[in-house]
Amino acid sequence: MSESSLSGRRLTPGMKTGLGIFARYATILGLLAMLLAFSILSPRAFPTLGNFTNVLNQASLAMIIAGGLTLAVIVGELDLSIGFAASLHGILVTGLIVQDQLPIPLAVVIVIGLGALIGLVNGVIVTKIKVNSVIATLGVGTILTGLAFAYSSGVPIVAGVPEAFLQLSLGRWLFGIPNNIVVMVLVLGALWVLVERTGLGQEIQAVGGNAVAARLAGIDVDRIKILGFVVSGMCAALTGILLASRLGSGTASAADSYLLTAFAAVFLGSATLRDGEFHVLGTFVGALIIAFGFNGLNIFGAPTFSQYVFQGAILIVAVGLSSLGRSLAES
Amino acid sequence: MTTTTRTSPVTGAPEASPFIVASHIAKAFGGAQALKDVSIDLRPGEVHGLVGANGAGKSTLIRILAGLVRPDAGSIEIDGKPTQIANAQAAAAHGMSFIHQELAFVPGMTVLQNIMLGVPKPSRFGLTDWAAIARDVAPIAARVGITAPLNASVKGLSTAENWLINICRALVRKSRLIVMDEPTASLSASESEKLFAIIRDMSRSGVTVLYVSHRLDEILDLCDRVSVFRDGRSVDLFSRAGLTRQTLVEAIVGKGLAPAVRPTRSETGSETVLELADLTRMPRVKGVSLALHRGEVLGIGGLVGAGRTELARLIYGADRPDAGSMTLAGKPFAPRSPAAAVKAGLGLVPEERRAEGLVLSKSVLFNLGLANLDRLVIGRALPLLSRSRQVHMGAETIKALAIKTQGVDQPVGRLSGGNQQKVVIGRWLRREPQVLILDEPTRGVDIGARGEIHKLIRELAGSGMAVLVISSEPDELPDLCDRVLVMAEGRIVEELSGEALSRNAIVQASYEVQRQGVPA
Repeated sequence: MSESSLSGRRLTPGMKTGLGIFARYATILGLLAMLLAFSILSPRAFPTLGNFTNVLNQASLAMIIAGGLTLAVIVGELDLSIGFAASLHGILVTGLIVQDQLPIPLAVVIVIGLGALIGLVNGVIVTKIKVNSVIATLGVGTILTGLAFAYSSGVPIVAGVPEAFLQLSLGRWLFGIPNNIVVMVLVLGALWVLVERTGLGQEIQAVGGNAVAARLAGIDVDRIKILGFVVSGMCAALTGILLASRLGSGTASAADSYLLTAFAAVFLGSATLRDGEFHVLGTFVGALIIAFGFNGLNIFGAPTFSQYVFQGAILIVAVGLSSLGRSLAES
Repeated sequence: MTTTTRTSPVTGAPEASPFIVASHIAKAFGGAQALKDVSIDLRPGEVHGLVGANGAGKSTLIRILAGLVRPDAGSIEIDGKPTQIANAQAAAAHGMSFIHQELAFVPGMTVLQNIMLGVPKPSRFGLTDWAAIARDVAPIAARVGITAPLNASVKGLSTAENWLINICRALVRKSRLIVMDEPTASLSASESEKLFAIIRDMSRSGVTVLYVSHRLDEILDLCDRVSVFRDGRSVDLFSRAGLTRQTLVEAIVGKGLAPAVRPTRSETGSETVLELADLTRMPRVKGVSLALHRGEVLGIGGLVGAGRTELARLIYGADRPDAGSMTLAGKPFAPRSPAAAVKAGLGLVPEERRAEGLVLSKSVLFNLGLANLDRLVIGRALPLLSRSRQVHMGAETIKALAIKTQGVDQPVGRLSGGNQQKVVIGRWLRREPQVLILDEPTRGVDIGARGEIHKLIRELAGSGMAVLVISSEPDELPDLCDRVLVMAEGRIVEELSGEALSRNAIVQASYEVQRQGVPA
């Protein structure tokens, strides 16, 4: 009945290898092709160090939140609360600094701690109460949006944001490299080491690869899943803080759109270099593709609607490539 | 659908022309020859019993009749015409219905909707005419004894009533053959009696029933003829007249088998490692007590569904017992999870290695490391994986178990079944648990690897581990074990060791319990 097939058709081993290679490198080839095309079409504006730095700087916030999401999807769950959570965190950090006059480092630590707590709540709902993660995190995210509006009474916090807080995102404290990029490299680097080079990382990968086998091998599956949500929640908090710093204000829905970008990056990443397996480096490549795509559209003055079309299309392509990789790996 | 209605023949009379004749069917899955040479003929209106030990080929034959599997060799004739049953739809079109242990029904729908699942329904103006259907179905439902109203929800109905719904569906389809696989496994005695009455009633009206069961008393009671399968062959065909339980058991076990050559026994110390007292989890495990000693290989035999895997899950903390207690090395032992059991010194090689044992997409090294991560990191303070430790551990295990792999980084999904199994076992070698439980350690493994795995299990016991082996193959346990407990219906019904331990004794004990009756 279940012969090895892809969409019902039989494939020769040669075709399978070929398709597998295509699926694994398609995203990287796509990125290179895009860079090449933009460079040829816009040789003055596009391929410059300034523009590349700018793109990376812009993309850093998405990369951080997507890096956290990567941990959640590696353990086999989805976290839809991250965009809403990041918006709440942005408002909260601004409020703590402006209204409560807390020192900036303390406000940042509190908000990241809250991010971890939200992740913990998500994780406990999913593993202990056994609510499907899509529903659980959508519910939690919606509650968070409500809290964000309640906290700000629907009015963005704009006035009185200290310059020092703005410098968190806008500053270039290390060799003139934008802070966003430095933070992003540190976060993704740490996540990569955690997943790929630690014993805990092996457990994380095992839980995502086969939760039943992981459990029977003596791994505490619930603990690992909760950890995935906590990391995701903390990264969302970081992105929310940096976004508020960049915008110089806290708005109740400022970071909502990061949800879609993060998912597109994560799924593009899972089709990169590996057969439909989520990994941190892949997420980085996925986020780069999306960032340069937007940048190119901007440079050519494409109308705003085209950005939505691009983002939606890339999400579908990403998930398609990812599942193609997986079905090839399984056959 | 063929609508030739045959008048009920004298049951089992040789002159009745058969409905289905399957001749010399063979089928291999990968390297394993599930069916070697099987022939069976089913006559209109007979109740035909099919018996055989686990792995004798009963299920494969059913899957072939159901159109789920194509035979490699042999022929099937229906009403005298050579036929190929290409798929499940073709099987239904030939008038065959299959009722499995896992019953097909949709919990949220009504009794009537469940009866009509997958059955073509008449419609009026494009809408299904449920009123008309209810009128047609009602007498059939009454005939098979469905007492619940047709428009009631199936939620809360008993297993027995779900069986009736499935039988009713087969009759609505005007099936000529109904195949029932272990129908009474989860029915009470009185529910079983009702089912038998319905089967006899169907038989009188010309419907053929192929009745697959381990319960020989039911077979003797119910069936007109009985086919016996053994090791992929149809070895015997009996008529009911003069058939005894003993004859059946002998046919199932086979005669003239050379007694298995015993391996050298390890010196079973008297030191008890794991002790179970009245361990219970309803409905599958009922008051099991046993003692497992250091250096011992203890086998647990019995038929599929006897509660062996469920017992292993209790010991390993994958499920929690309703009652009873355990001690490990003299201390109370009540693991809340497999992780706790592993920490306490247990290891498990699960029944389904692909689904429960391995992360298939990951490498051999990754899978070997899973139970040993604390030993593969540089140190507690710096929990980074040491590649050199990983490779060293991997290479050592691969060598010790003779795992055939292209390298430590090969995805484990690409290995053969035997080598995959060695990876799951190899995971525990370094950990050296006090108790290692192996559930069906050689299922789907070729004969060479099977020997190696057996040797390995003996060596582990020799090094002082206490080993518990669950196997459905009666052949396997005498070769491997110092002592064998036979389980049936959730209880341990026999302990065999020394001269008394043999394949035949295990099979006998597996069936014996039914005759004696298990105290409730």
